Amino acid sequence: MTLRTYVNTNVLLIQNYSDYSCPVANNYADNKIRIINCLCVCVCVCVCEADRVLVKVQDLTPDKADQLIWLRARVHTSRAKGKQCFLVLRQQQFNVQALVAVGDRASKQMVKFAANINKESIVDVEAVVRKVEQKIESCSQQDVELHMERIFVISQAEPRLPLQLEDAVRPDGEGEEEGRATVNQDTKLDNRVIDLRTTTSQAVFRLQSGVCQLFRDTLINKGFVEIQTPKIISAASEGGANVFTVSYFKTSAYLAQSPQLYKQMCICADFDKVFCVGPVFRAEDSNTHRHLTEFVGLDIEMAFNYHYHEVIDSITDTMVQIFKGLRDNFQTEIQTVNKQYPSEPFKFLEPTLRLEYTEGVAMLREAGVEMGDEDDLRFRAPNPGTVNSSSKYDTDFYVLDKYPLAVRPFYTMPDPNNPKYSNSYDMFMRGEEILSGAQRIHDAQLLTERAQHHQIDLEKIKAYIDSFRYGAPPHGGGGGRSVDCLTEPTSFQVWRGRMLVPGSAQRPPDLHVPT
Amino acid sequence: MPMYQVKPVCGGDIQIDLPTCMYKLPNIHAQQEHSCTSEHALQNGEVDPAVKALEARQDEIMRKLYELKAAVEGLAKTVTTPDADLDLTVSSSLSPQSSSSTAFKGTADLDTLLGKDLGALRDIVINANPEHPPLTLLVLHSLLCQRYRVLSTVHVHSSVTSVPPQLMSCLGPRHVDSYARHLFQLGFTLIWKNVPTLQMKFSIQNMCPIEGEANVARFLFKLLTPYPSDPAVATLVDSWVDTAFFQLAEGSTKERAAVLRSLNSALGRNPWLAGPEFSLADIACFCCVQCSGSASSAPANVQRWLKSCENLGHFSPAKLLLQ
Repeated sequence: MTLRTYVNTNVLLIQNYSDYSCPVANNYADNKIRIINCLCVCVCVCVCEADRVLVKVQDLTPDKADQLIWLRARVHTSRAKGKQCFLVLRQQQFNVQALVAVGDRASKQMVKFAANINKESIVDVEAVVRKVEQKIESCSQQDVELHMERIFVISQAEPRLPLQLEDAVRPDGEGEEEGRATVNQDTKLDNRVIDLRTTTSQAVFRLQSGVCQLFRDTLINKGFVEIQTPKIISAASEGGANVFTVSYFKTSAYLAQSPQLYKQMCICADFDKVFCVGPVFRAEDSNTHRHLTEFVGLDIEMAFNYHYHEVIDSITDTMVQIFKGLRDNFQTEIQTVNKQYPSEPFKFLEPTLRLEYTEGVAMLREAGVEMGDEDDLRFRAPNPGTVNSSSKYDTDFYVLDKYPLAVRPFYTMPDPNNPKYSNSYDMFMRGEEILSGAQRIHDAQLLTERAQHHQIDLEKIKAYIDSFRYGAPPHGGGGGRSVDCLTEPTSFQVWRGRMLVPGSAQRPPDLHVPT
Repeated sequence: MPMYQVKPVCGGDIQIDLPTCMYKLPNIHAQQEHSCTSEHALQNGEVDPAVKALEARQDEIMRKLYELKAAVEGLAKTVTTPDADLDLTVSSSLSPQSSSSTAFKGTADLDTLLGKDLGALRDIVINANPEHPPLTLLVLHSLLCQRYRVLSTVHVHSSVTSVPPQLMSCLGPRHVDSYARHLFQLGFTLIWKNVPTLQMKFSIQNMCPIEGEANVARFLFKLLTPYPSDPAVATLVDSWVDTAFFQLAEGSTKERAAVLRSLNSALGRNPWLAGPEFSLADIACFCCVQCSGSASSAPANVQRWLKSCENLGHFSPAKLLLQ
């Protein structure tokens, strides 16, 4: 069966299905094969070109000059100029300029065809790599361009895109200045599939992956064991207000707000050092820039020998290794994000700076903020630590130790020297709290007293208290969010953009897969 | 008709002599005419001797007053214009008794020097480049530790990739109580950072950062003991400190040789550089001499002085780092 074809030696003809040597193609009738301006593409894409090597755009460098290569990429832009057509082909963060000109290698119809390919369509291109004298500033591959010989459309996109990728990547200020469009948050979230294709989003989620990977690697090297804690639990751990309820057969259960209780049980079960990376669900009906209903939590718990500062040292060392790893191995991604969200390089000290809570209060008072001794720093000043620590010590990361007992949960160990304070700490990056932790009470008797003091129903946490009755080692730990570790080094302020598909009090994550 | 009749109390008419003048005074003029001749002489223009004496005394007093006024004005002129001889005589009467010991006397109350403690640890933050370790400050740190409870910590900033281990332990072993920051009077935080010049930060609200090893050394020294109150000695100390840091540490070989010669001649006269007492000048010059490597080629007096500095024992951290 022949299709309508266009006779031109330089354009691929599919005159016969049999030409295609695709066993399935013979079974497809017209309606399964789209004819796009006479260039036929088989929808099942089973071109038996198994030995064709596709080159990656990031590998297109001057040392491949004058080679004939195949590559598959998306059409980022296409622009016809008289007898030439310029395309920018994009693969994740990398793009390269390609051109087709009317001549002995290409016909006028081919140039017209190339100019009419919709943006974001996926194409296969056979082209010769040529060096350019003048650097192409707008592409990531600046030293070469492709002179196309053949071009196929593998998967076509609709002509009208809901948002333009250049607009999505434009920094906010620049858009207003030059009168160009930028895309606002809600549009981006409504069309997440396209928004995630931008170079910035690609870089952000690669960095997120890097953070989790560095976290795991560092802790495993320190002898930690990774555990997975249950997420559907029978009792709310952190207090009943911000918890999601799910129906559990005939009764109901809750989505875990934190792996706290299970981490501690593991320590009492002699695992010595554990960590877990998993989702955490908080039903917080707030709309600050930090609130997400579901996020990835990074939690650590370890037994210590003589002083809970061993725990702090271990956690801060892990954080410093993560910063160093990001700095050394992910520079490309950080620079990409900085193009849209400019920021300063992240500064830190090794060993990490540790200040006491009273010092933080004194620094705030010196700067003119009025507060009582036991007020919570976080709610008193928007960026409490940046007041002094970043200017005096020149660090963006520090620990604030010895918080007042009144603002911490019931299982926090009080300070033996001063009953108003506790052995607890928070870690800050650029003034935002990213990790909260403490030494936990490992004595069942003291735990019962503290729970009663906080007026918690002892029946609900009976199992928790029981786990400390049979010899529990002194232990402590902390928990944070992977998105926060990501935000601060790159200063990626767009909070909801940090989650792949974020959910908040106003809108649950809606990219559901139909069953 | 009258109610009743009363006999008249007094007689009908009594003649009363109403006076015409209120009171009488003796006539002044009339008296003088009848007085003695001395007063008469006064009337004639002759002066009474008593008055004369009085006038003479008044003149005498006025004269003395004028003389005093002239003297005071003359003195005022001499005081406002600088007069070296005058200053020396004044200051020599005020200078304290010198002591020949090398321990630091003199109270230096931290509250008066550094400001009231608001509850935060008084932390001195020093940013130094690991390629030029500040030996003077290490020596001063060990002196501070002998005097106060100092919490010392060493950090490496992210702008520096790595630092040799002896720089990490240059402030000595970690204090046993270092987990409780509020137990210490003073904090000494050394951060190895990629900075062009050494920098010290203490109070962000009230002080700008202090730059340069010489200036930070002066700040730290004043926490130990006040500068000598004799301005001549204080200037001498300052001048030696500057010589050490500018010409000895950073100067050419010629400059260094010149400094060593002047050190030699100064040390020929006194046991220490700034007179009979050990001072900041000795610390600065010792460290810079050691740093520049000219210790072995120094003249005799300088060698002797280097030995006595080492015997004091304050310089052990510096020596450790130099090895």
